[in-house]
Amino acid sequence: MSTQIRLRNCAKTFADGTRALAPFDLTIEGGETIVLLGPSGCGKTTILRMIAGLEFSDAGGVISFDGDDVTRQSIEKRRVGMVFQSYALFPNMTVAENVAYGLKVHGVPGKERDARVDAMLEMMHIDMLADRRIDQLSGGQRQRVALARAIAVQPRVLLLDEPLTALDAKLRVRLRTEINALLRKLGITAVYVTHDQEEAMALGDRIVVMQKGEIAQIGTPREIYRKPQNPFVADFVGAANRMTGQMRDGRLHIGAHVFDAVDAFDPRHGAIIDQGAVELYFRADGLSPCDLDEAHFTGRVEAVSYLGERLRLTVSGIGPQAVTIDTHADDVIETGADVHCRVNADRLTVFPAVAAHS
Amino acid sequence: MSSVEHIKEGRSRPSFPLSLLPLVFGRATPGAGSPAILALLMLPGLIIVAAFFAIPMALVAMRVADGPDGLATYFVILTNERYLASLIQTLVMSGGVTVTALILCGICGLFLVRNRFAGRNVITALLTLPLSFPGTVVGFMVIMLAGRQGVIGSVTDALWGEKIVFAYEITGLFVGYLYFSIPRVILAVMASAEKLDPQLEEAARSLGAPTWRVVKDVILPGLMPGLVSSGAICFATAMGAFGTAFTLATDIDVLPMVIYTEFTRNANIAVAAALSIALGAMTWAVLAAVRVFVGNGATSGTGGGA
Ligand SMILES: Nc1ncnc2c1ncn2[C@@H]1O[C@H](COP(=O)(O)OP(=O)(O)O)[C@@H](O)[C@H]1O
Ligand SMILES: [Mg+2]
Repeated sequence: MSTQIRLRNCAKTFADGTRALAPFDLTIEGGETIVLLGPSGCGKTTILRMIAGLEFSDAGGVISFDGDDVTRQSIEKRRVGMVFQSYALFPNMTVAENVAYGLKVHGVPGKERDARVDAMLEMMHIDMLADRRIDQLSGGQRQRVALARAIAVQPRVLLLDEPLTALDAKLRVRLRTEINALLRKLGITAVYVTHDQEEAMALGDRIVVMQKGEIAQIGTPREIYRKPQNPFVADFVGAANRMTGQMRDGRLHIGAHVFDAVDAFDPRHGAIIDQGAVELYFRADGLSPCDLDEAHFTGRVEAVSYLGERLRLTVSGIGPQAVTIDTHADDVIETGADVHCRVNADRLTVFPAVAAHS
Repeated sequence: MSSVEHIKEGRSRPSFPLSLLPLVFGRATPGAGSPAILALLMLPGLIIVAAFFAIPMALVAMRVADGPDGLATYFVILTNERYLASLIQTLVMSGGVTVTALILCGICGLFLVRNRFAGRNVITALLTLPLSFPGTVVGFMVIMLAGRQGVIGSVTDALWGEKIVFAYEITGLFVGYLYFSIPRVILAVMASAEKLDPQLEEAARSLGAPTWRVVKDVILPGLMPGLVSSGAICFATAMGAFGTAFTLATDIDVLPMVIYTEFTRNANIAVAAALSIALGAMTWAVLAAVRVFVGNGATSGTGGGA
């Protein structure tokens, strides 16, 4: 059975006074893959190391595996598998010896050990590399060895800290798919740290978005993508366009235009935003180019980038900062031209304006 | 000659001395440079080896052959009890100094790299101070410590009325050489320890390895290149050092002292020469054996050869 992990009231202040994590609660269900997502320095690795037993929570925090309190237990006893961005393979051992190491430490007898190592190598498609030295492997091969080594001992939880960050884009996507399949097949509880939104969406059953040592939102990839709970999450998962408006009697006013069909539920206050200044966050699909007579706004094209299947315009004069709008790849648009566009109100995420909620 | 080759020949070929630079400083590529150029590059090294090593060695070896016993002198030194005892004593002491220095400095060096505390830099500086002392000064310090008027003697005299003095024997020499070796080994250990990847240790621990296993499987292999190279210097120095022994006493039977007495007092030049060759050969053999024994493991470790 896979292990459920509970962190209660955990926080971390380092010896030098750095407050890496404010007190937080987090429950990871057995067999679930949780992704910790956030910009560099927000505390993702610290949470992972706390679960591993490499860092201890400040006083008052409790960590339990399946109800067993492991708060003061050291990493050797916790049975966690770790996979690092730098691979951390033992350079003085071959591939097979690396994978066998944990089994050897646990006293698994030679014959059974060899069989399990072979099975692991085969599962990770590196059986032909068994006798290689580590410095003879590519980055992708190294990470496969690291994965095999970590899961060989059948850990209670697999902890992965940006395992694909050091690899090139194509390999990253391929290995990501494989890791996803592996995690489903093993049914193991996993915590995966990344700063890459796409990776988080692809792998996570749930995503924990973090901001400066605090949890900004926990949700399924769909919830995080479609219903970001605050401007930080919206911005971080790609809804980086911003406009300002007013809510009056439940209707959204932007400039002289009024929109009815907006989802103005504010999850943090658990209420519909009825009145007051609001900020609107949206992706490129929040505005679409149109003819002048249908347009809500007209802006000026500052830059054009060709994305293959579409053309992405950077447009000024609509929001407080430039916004991005997508148009057909075949359109011929020059920098400096005027562009007319409509607001797709159902694509807007509405937050109370900063002054109202900070 | 075809025109293509002609153009290639004519185009920006670096002038002769410049064309050597990549050979000296660049990465070795198989088949780079003609044998003649490579031989030219080897020349300075060959001259030095010949002038300072091969020729004197040959002269020394010839002195052995010219002696009253001829080449049998080698047999004499290996059967004469005094010479053999001195050989063994020197070997054992040098090995002992090396092992002790490696253990002490391994622990201290690792501790100094791993911990930040007030006075850390002062301790590092003090530990590496003897680097600049000649053997005579080290001998003098051993006498101050463990000689007849030394600190240890005075303290033990005051405590239980017995003066402990060990400066003028092999123990004193051992302490002196240890003192002499510590800075070299500790600097090498600290350099290797800085390069240890902490995540390797974390990975080992996550796999269930207790501390002693982490030390054995991760830390020691990582330190090994530094330990081997500094241990080799330490051993070779202890085998051949003379100043400290000479300062402490003239009757400590380590090999360099025996060579000195045979040469200057007894004018037994053939024996002195044979002992010199034996000293060199033995030191070389031990170092070569260590290299073969740990070399493979160490070089496949975190890089940096011995
Ligand atoms: N050992 C440490 N001592 C002091 N501060 C630390 C230590 N480790 C991490 N930090 C700080 O804690 C914060 C969170 O770090 P980390 O968890 O590594 O972030 P992330 O993995 O999200 O990039 C950062 O500000 C970092 O500088
Ligand atoms: Mg990190």
